[in-house]
This record gives sequence, structure tokens and C-alpha cells, in this order.
Amino acid sequence: MAYDVKEVKKQWEGYETPLRWGRYPVEHEPIRRHCQMLDDMNPRFLEEGHCPPVMVDYFASLGPYPPSDYDILPLVRRIPTPGDRLINLNQEFEWFQPVKVGDRLGASHKVVAIHQRGTKLDPLSVWIRTETTIVNQNQDVVARRTNQILVHRTPEEIATGVSRA
Amino acid sequence: MSGRPRPPSPAWEDVREGEELKGFSLELTPTRMVAQVSGTQDFYPVHHDRDFARQAGHKDIFINTAFIRGCLCRVLTDWMGDDGFVKSLSFQMRRPNFVGETISVRGRVRKKGPDGRVDLELWIENAGEVTVPGTAAVILPARS
Repeated sequence: MAYDVKEVKKQWEGYETPLRWGRYPVEHEPIRRHCQMLDDMNPRFLEEGHCPPVMVDYFASLGPYPPSDYDILPLVRRIPTPGDRLINLNQEFEWFQPVKVGDRLGASHKVVAIHQRGTKLDPLSVWIRTETTIVNQNQDVVARRTNQILVHRTPEEIATGVSRA
Repeated sequence: MSGRPRPPSPAWEDVREGEELKGFSLELTPTRMVAQVSGTQDFYPVHHDRDFARQAGHKDIFINTAFIRGCLCRVLTDWMGDDGFVKSLSFQMRRPNFVGETISVRGRVRKKGPDGRVDLELWIENAGEVTVPGTAAVILPARS
């Protein structure tokens, strides 16, 4: 059966997950690892407990282990698509408050839009736009993030005409 | 403690439109690709498993979104010092940055706005090509 993007849009656009809290409070050690990967010696992050702005979604998630709903990936994987390979194309962040070690963060995710448009990777590529709202322990919004994700098939799946949905 | 010297935050009044931010370069060595997984906890195999990446149609493993935005954000926080606030960041990932390549992360002041706002262009270059263009806004303190 041909992939019916209109039906998928009808079912999924506007879907929003409930607020889930991050597994742990904002901590020093993940901030140190973030700085290590970037050669970032900023003492505000390494010594004083300021959270790098781009880490707020990290601390608002349950993390990759034990298996759980990790950030937006499980949500995107539930949306029927011909392929299951993901690429994040665009991201936008807006911040409203600073975050420090000891804060608790949580997030909810919303499916904003779904489109089908072919790419060099796959003529049946599906584009999924999501919005994530991140709050602190007072339920004040500290940041909003939008993602544009491309879901595509492997070259082998394209060559054999395989579609998962 | 250890940390680098801390230059004061630039005052909004002293910032010039067109001013270049001090950027930095990173070599995407295999060790840095491991640090990327450690730092982001992103275990999607396209960023660390060459066979998986190639099967998906890519040349090799490439850095992930959280690494890229961390680079762009570092250019801002290096420049704006302790008293600035990163208000927004937006970027497009036009082509992957692969293991073995070297990226340079750059920025430039685009426009000054009211209430301490400064709009900037940010980008990642790789072999002379802009692979990640972006924009950002920060709030800087006033001179007084």
C-alpha cells in the first residue's frame, strides 16, 4: 500500500507528550564532559556550575540508559515513515532563564508538522518538525527548541523498493 | 582553580556591527568522536559506527547536532563573558562534518538592537565550505 502522508499528518500533527522530568538534576560531571568534547575551558561551566545553554534538553531528558523515552527520538520513531534512518537538519533554540547545577528540568514534545518531499538520500523522505518546551522545578519555561528531522530509507531499501509504512 | 583567564564582558555600547568574534578550530579525530558520544550521550550509530553510517548512504561517521550547537554556543560564550545571556540560536546542517576533517567555528556581529540585544551570524567552515550557517542573539550589559 502506498504511503499515505495525509493520514499520518491527520493522526500525528499536534500530538504532544506529557511533561516528563529529567532523570537527574543538573550536574557538574555531564557539563565537564560537554566541555571536554569542545575543548571549552570556560570556568563558569567547569567550576561554577552554570549550565551551558545548549545542555538544557540534555538535563530535561531521561538519558539513553536505562531504556526510556529519550528526548524526541522515540516520539519520531512512532510516526509511520517509509524509512527509519534519521538526520537532524535544523535546530532553533530560544532561552528565557539561566540554569545552574541543582536545578531540575523537564520537557514536553510536540509534533508540529509532517511533510513528504524527496531528497538526494531518498525520494520518499519524510520531514518532521517538532517543538520541545523545557521547564525548571518551578515549571517556569527556561527554553524552547524546534527540530527539523529528515527520515529516510537506506540505499539498499530504496534499491529493493522496501517501505516500512 | 584552573580555568582560562576571564576577559570582561563587552559592553553593548562598545560592540561594533561587523565585528568578528574570536573563533576556534577542532580536528575531528577518532578520539574526539568518542568524546562526542560521551559528551552528548547520543548513541545513534551514525555518529560512531562506520558500517552503520555507510550502510545508510553516508561517507563515514559525522558529528551530531549537540556537538555542532555546542561549538556555535561556545563561540558566543567565549566572546560575551560572564554577564551576557544567550537568547537564541538557530542553525542549519547543510552537509555532514566527517571524522578526519577539521572544522573552524566563526562568528560576526550582524546588528545591534534595543535593550542590550546583539544579533550575530555564526558558522562552521570545513575545507573552505560553510557546512553549518546559523544566527544567534545575545543580551549584553550596558557600559554603566
